[in-house]
Amino acid sequence: MLNFKIDSSEIDKVGNFNKQEKDFRLKNLENFNKNGFPNKRNEDWKFSDLREIVSKNFKKLNFHSTNNTEQKIDLIKEFEHNFIVLTNGELTSSNFSYEDKDKIKIQKYSNYPLSEKTELNPLISLNHAMANKGFILEVEENYKFNKILVIYSLYTDKLNENIINCKNKIKIGKNSELHTLEYLINNSKANFFNNIYENIVLDDSAKFKNICIQKNKSSGYFHKYSNNKLGTNSNYSSFVFPAGLKFNKLDLEFDLTGKNSECKLLAASYLSQKDHQEIKTRINHFASDCKSFQKVKNVLDSESKGVFQGKIFVKDIAQKTDAYQLSKAILLNDSSEFNSKPELEIYADNVKCSHGSSSGSIDKNSVFYLMSRGLSKKESVNLLIDGFLSEITNEIKNQKIKTFIINRLRIQLDGHKKH
Amino acid sequence: MKSKDINYNQDYKYGFTTDIENIKAPKGLSEETIKFISKIKKEPKWMLDWRLKAYNRLKVSKEPNWQKPKFPKIDYQDLYYYSAPKSMQDKPKSLDEVDPKLIETYNKLGIPLNEQKKLSGVAVDAVFDSVSVATTFKDELTKKGIIFCPISEAIQKHPDLVRKYLGSVIPINDHYFATLNSAVFTDGSFVYVPPNTKCPMELSTYFRINASETGQFERTLIIADKGSYVSYLEGCTAPMRDENQLHAANVELVALDDAEIKYSTVQNWYPGDKEGVGGIYNFVTKRGACRGKNSKISWTQVETGSAITWKYPSCILQGDNSVGEFYSIAITNNHQKADTGTKMIHLGKNTKSKIISKGISAGKADNTYRGLVDIGRKAINSRNFTQCDSLLMGNTCGAHTVPYIKNKNSSSTIEHEATTSKINEDQLFYCNQRGLSQEEAVSLIVNGFCKEVLQQLPMEFAVEAQKLVGISLEGSVG
Repeated sequence: MLNFKIDSSEIDKVGNFNKQEKDFRLKNLENFNKNGFPNKRNEDWKFSDLREIVSKNFKKLNFHSTNNTEQKIDLIKEFEHNFIVLTNGELTSSNFSYEDKDKIKIQKYSNYPLSEKTELNPLISLNHAMANKGFILEVEENYKFNKILVIYSLYTDKLNENIINCKNKIKIGKNSELHTLEYLINNSKANFFNNIYENIVLDDSAKFKNICIQKNKSSGYFHKYSNNKLGTNSNYSSFVFPAGLKFNKLDLEFDLTGKNSECKLLAASYLSQKDHQEIKTRINHFASDCKSFQKVKNVLDSESKGVFQGKIFVKDIAQKTDAYQLSKAILLNDSSEFNSKPELEIYADNVKCSHGSSSGSIDKNSVFYLMSRGLSKKESVNLLIDGFLSEITNEIKNQKIKTFIINRLRIQLDGHKKH
Repeated sequence: MKSKDINYNQDYKYGFTTDIENIKAPKGLSEETIKFISKIKKEPKWMLDWRLKAYNRLKVSKEPNWQKPKFPKIDYQDLYYYSAPKSMQDKPKSLDEVDPKLIETYNKLGIPLNEQKKLSGVAVDAVFDSVSVATTFKDELTKKGIIFCPISEAIQKHPDLVRKYLGSVIPINDHYFATLNSAVFTDGSFVYVPPNTKCPMELSTYFRINASETGQFERTLIIADKGSYVSYLEGCTAPMRDENQLHAANVELVALDDAEIKYSTVQNWYPGDKEGVGGIYNFVTKRGACRGKNSKISWTQVETGSAITWKYPSCILQGDNSVGEFYSIAITNNHQKADTGTKMIHLGKNTKSKIISKGISAGKADNTYRGLVDIGRKAINSRNFTQCDSLLMGNTCGAHTVPYIKNKNSSSTIEHEATTSKINEDQLFYCNQRGLSQEEAVSLIVNGFCKEVLQQLPMEFAVEAQKLVGISLEGSVG
């Protein structure tokens, strides 16, 4: 059984801090030690008992503090792009050759504003207490990126039973536009735990588009909490294609604080072989005339477990809100499991809010139809899965990037089928 | 033109009290209170032991706190757990011997026990505080072998049946309020329908809280044996008081092979006044088990009363091909809070369930649908459909949907959809234009919104429920 208590001396090992920050870290560590890794008694972790998962798979957890030297990575050749490289969470290089460098500020994680809030999620407390890596990217006002920014997130093989805590922040100024692709490359064969705290701020009329995908399967355990703030008239779309991690929980919170802001979340996953993945969203409509749209699609194969917990919150002043949420899942195997909890919490009357959630088997008539046209059963099923997930990929407008994503998804699918 | 006799601005019309002499148990919750209740009900020893077991369990359990509506702490020692009209001490043998004051109370409530005997085809068991006042149509039902009597009578006369089924659906250690009920339950109905019998009339219980500082803890047990059918109705009211009264009931249904139970509720406990003072805390546990193959349990509820409602009528679909249904209308106005929904637990093969929930929220009220659909690994080819619609009136109220959906099996399908909206202004305008007042129009539109659920109610209740829908929303628009 893993000892969940972390000694306060560990904080000194991850860095030197001034008194104010040290106190903040100690307070958060205390909160984590009090609660430990969340288990299913915690409402937000009802379907993903992390305490059980961690104690089953980890004997101990070390905090990753060694410096990371940059390693050679294969850059994406399919399209031109700017990039930054994160090695085990640490910013190791950046290249903005297509952009005006005066308009962009990139730096390693350093002093981060300290929040006074006592976090309900112990993992955020843990991050607050132990974070020592990450990056801060700021885009000045009135600047539109020419090319996409790829964030290569590399996990090396030196991570045995390590826990990485990083904090990333992206701030996009007024009228600016940024498009990013997060690309996870996992070289680690050993168990490790990655705990990310992300903060994205969109100023008025800013636009941000993000795509997140993995290159390969990994034995990593991931938890990411993302806090996104949207200003007036801003627009945020997020595409996530998470798959192939032993455990993955994305906890995404969007605060629509400015009028007319719009946020879109699209996710497609193919889960297999004991993958456990949870997507949890909370969309807070704090201002009027905002729009939110969520569509989450999951295909679940052998022994995988998928979870979707989505919440739309509409404050009483957020009139004329248009919020939509849809979760769809296909279960291919009787050993797979899908749980969902789509929630609405609404305090304003002049709104349009709806959600839908369905889960079921692949349509037998469609399989029969395809087989009668000469396809094998396997081909038919694969074609139908392709079609099911393509509803998400079709939303990507850039053709080259779209092809890249589709190819990656196909590898995920085929890679599994060989086993 | 607005007809004069429709008065939508009437207050809670069941809010009167009947001044009647009561026998009460000693105040507070203790072993003595439980022994007192057991003694006055002339219960056998096994029943007392069962209650005490529950009481011991209660000592170590805690009140649940996960529900959305929070409430001030209840002082369980400041309540009377048993209160009965003195005239009921020696049980009257027929309706003619019942205290005329009680009969009058029920007449005022629209439950004319005497007339009912002759006219309508509904058998009524009337429960006043902690005791059953009268049960009508007993003879006719007995001829068919149907047992319909107060549960206290069933404990004495049909101990085998009660022992076999009591607590089999809601175990005594289930949760705080269910355990509390198991320890101190006073009266309620017992129904047993023998094999291959279709109950010839609707069975009905009317619950009335009268005494102050009293909790009502009724317990209902319905067993439909193989191939039988029964439809059961339940209605409830309470006087207007500025204190909060606790109502913690347990209802257990058991359907064996090919049996069907239809359970309808029109809940109209006193909701408190416009400022949210007083009203009933309605913390009820209702659960049905479809034990047999091809069995069916259908819950229909119209929830308009109570200050706080926590209620999740559930179906455990154990038998293969069994069916569970849940139709609900929950209306909250002023400071009312409702947290209601259902649980459909699919265990058998080819089981089906359907959930239709309509929530209407006005004033400063909060209305939550909370439900669980759980399809187990062995429940192959199961099916669920859920629809939750909410209607909001004004921006000081809230409407929430919290469904939990679990699917562990690839041959089953679950569908869930929910919408939230307000009353369509075009519809309102159209009604106004045709001469309906704002309130009549709202009532009409809301009735249309609820139609899917209202039509599931038996005739006798449907009319009353429709009126209730209109009255509950009085003053919420315009």
